[in-house]
Amino acid sequence: MDNKDLIPPGLTFLADNITSKQNILGASTEEGAKWAKWLNLPKEAETIFFAGCGYQYATDLESLMSLIRKIDKSAISTEMTMNLAGFQKKLGVDATGIYRRLMNRGSDDAQSLKDAVNVLHSLGVEFGYLADDEPCCGGLLHYIGLHQEFNRNARQVHDGIKSKGVKRVISIVPSCTDTLRHLIPESIEGDGLEIKHFCEVVLENISSRELRFPRKVKVTYHDPCQLARFLGLIEEPRQILRAIDGIELVEPEETTGVCATCCGGGGGFEAVFPELSQMLAVNRVRELLETGADIIVTHCPGCIMQLKTGVKELKRNDVEVLDLVQILATAMGV
Amino acid sequence: MDAAHNDRIRLALSRAIGTYRKNRNNALEKFPHTIKMAEEVREMKVKAIGMMEELAQQACEAIESNKGKAYIARTADDALKIIDDLVGKDKLIVKAKSMTSEEIGVREHLEEQGNEVFETDLGEFIIQKLGQKPMHILSPSIHVPKEDVAELFSKITGEDIPSDDIEMMVATARKLLREKFFEADVGMSGANVVAADTGTLFLIENEGNIRLATGAPPVHIALVGMEKLVPTLNDAYKVSEVTWRYANYTVPSYVSMISGPSKTGDIEKVITYGAHGPKEFHVIFLDDGRTKLADDPILRQILYCLRCGACLYECPVFALTAGHFGDKYFAGVGAVWAATISQDKEKAASIAYTCLTCGRCKEKCPVEIDTPEMIVELRRQMAADELLS
Repeated sequence: MDNKDLIPPGLTFLADNITSKQNILGASTEEGAKWAKWLNLPKEAETIFFAGCGYQYATDLESLMSLIRKIDKSAISTEMTMNLAGFQKKLGVDATGIYRRLMNRGSDDAQSLKDAVNVLHSLGVEFGYLADDEPCCGGLLHYIGLHQEFNRNARQVHDGIKSKGVKRVISIVPSCTDTLRHLIPESIEGDGLEIKHFCEVVLENISSRELRFPRKVKVTYHDPCQLARFLGLIEEPRQILRAIDGIELVEPEETTGVCATCCGGGGGFEAVFPELSQMLAVNRVRELLETGADIIVTHCPGCIMQLKTGVKELKRNDVEVLDLVQILATAMGV
Repeated sequence: MDAAHNDRIRLALSRAIGTYRKNRNNALEKFPHTIKMAEEVREMKVKAIGMMEELAQQACEAIESNKGKAYIARTADDALKIIDDLVGKDKLIVKAKSMTSEEIGVREHLEEQGNEVFETDLGEFIIQKLGQKPMHILSPSIHVPKEDVAELFSKITGEDIPSDDIEMMVATARKLLREKFFEADVGMSGANVVAADTGTLFLIENEGNIRLATGAPPVHIALVGMEKLVPTLNDAYKVSEVTWRYANYTVPSYVSMISGPSKTGDIEKVITYGAHGPKEFHVIFLDDGRTKLADDPILRQILYCLRCGACLYECPVFALTAGHFGDKYFAGVGAVWAATISQDKEKAASIAYTCLTCGRCKEKCPVEIDTPEMIVELRRQMAADELLS
């Protein structure tokens, strides 16, 4: 017997999308792969680029969250939100409807992914892209506790990618990368594929390149939880930033590296507690802006969304939130 | 009350977090051996949790041979029954702050039985008088601004206590409680750690209320979770030092080590009990799901917890909501306690799905408790209906 009614509906909705449609928002996979249409990436290759859900659906997720937050504000108090019955009722009705309506729109905006491909190509790294055959890593299934579903998905992901003759994966979303590198091999109890994170590949190939940001800027870097604490990639993004002419890297006191504060978008939290999640984003942006930075750089689609919300709430129009990929693309002129 | 909407509470919490971090860094810099000692303590706890039953038996024997009385209570009800038999009715009880007593609702229970109970820790006293629940394991009134304390104490005493005069508030609490320690029939406490070989309880504090509550009344009853047991006196000392250091103290004002009732042999070498301290010393070791939890390879980590509170200062959600994110214990670790000791699946689920699994708490935990791992496992057990029962 199982007890899935203890899982908040906002999360079961995302989980159902993964198992039925192979992406968290339930869009068609053709829709998700649209961003790469003009890039002519081969579908078969020993090394592939793994795009993941986060960046592909970035625009949708942003408008979705801003809609949900409008509802949550007028809804109920924190104390009630902390009560399971309260949020079940709330999200069971509203969120699912909104998710569905939004998902019918689709999206072709995934600039960060295009930037990532251009950056890698410019560094001479060759790879393919599975496009509509790219599976969802299923990490969310693990995090919300649906381990049977996760294990099933893990086997499919592993076998699916391997059957296409793939040996190496360059992954960019922190959560997908950790899932591919750690959770899937653990689940299938076998050797996974060689999984590299985008910033590791960049760092390996960038030494001879001249990198220049078009203007002098103060940049602070927000460590995504999974990138810093799960994957241990703390120095890599910083080395890249420091190598760029025109960028001065400034760090918040205490809350950096392994001690960085979560942006409030972890583990599907934003789908369950939209308003609380927004407050966390604001808190984190406050910490980061104490450095006096003009640009907040991070390296995760979830963090980008959260930090943008925080900056907007604080009415700091003078501050930009950018992905490391965007900074790199600008600094390389690609 | 709605913590997340209350800017003052958030301000109080953010100040507390800032001060805590500064103090902890200072304490660790001054005594750098603590970090290595914490690793030793983790290893010690991993072993001790696997032998709680033996350690409890050993501690009981030691306490009995020190002329105290020791008990193992399997459930919360068993523990309350033992306490009832010892306390009776219409008694005056002074209490030291204890999470374990909060866990099984000792104060409420004793009051229902017709006893008068005073919490003597200042924060806990404030909470008791406000009729609220503690919002932090070490600083139960962390969410109450000084203005509210002034108002409360003014109401109790009929005096006008200015809202910026914290010294006067502290003096007021001292005045209100002073006589109670000496009038009390029973003093109750918990323990931070217990040495099984000598049956010695270690109690760490700064206020001095624990010394009075465990020293002045004729009877001392201690309620201690079985996970607090370690093999030797030397082990217990290490656990204590690591606990207070990660709780942001270089050294606390007081550490009491209590192994038996008060005694003297000064008249003709005849050992007589109840000199200046309590004549009776009772220790109740509480299981309440702990031995079962020790069998779970992942969730057992919760039993390593020293209750230093470091994780709470690192939790971004806790910084907004304080104890609303929790049940008897708070934040991510609170979810595991809710599932185990409260057996309240809905409560446990609501806490478990409130955790961000961001993992910063783990980085600052002296015994490296992997909260994200426990939370994911708890979610799994809940979804698969395999939760401990």
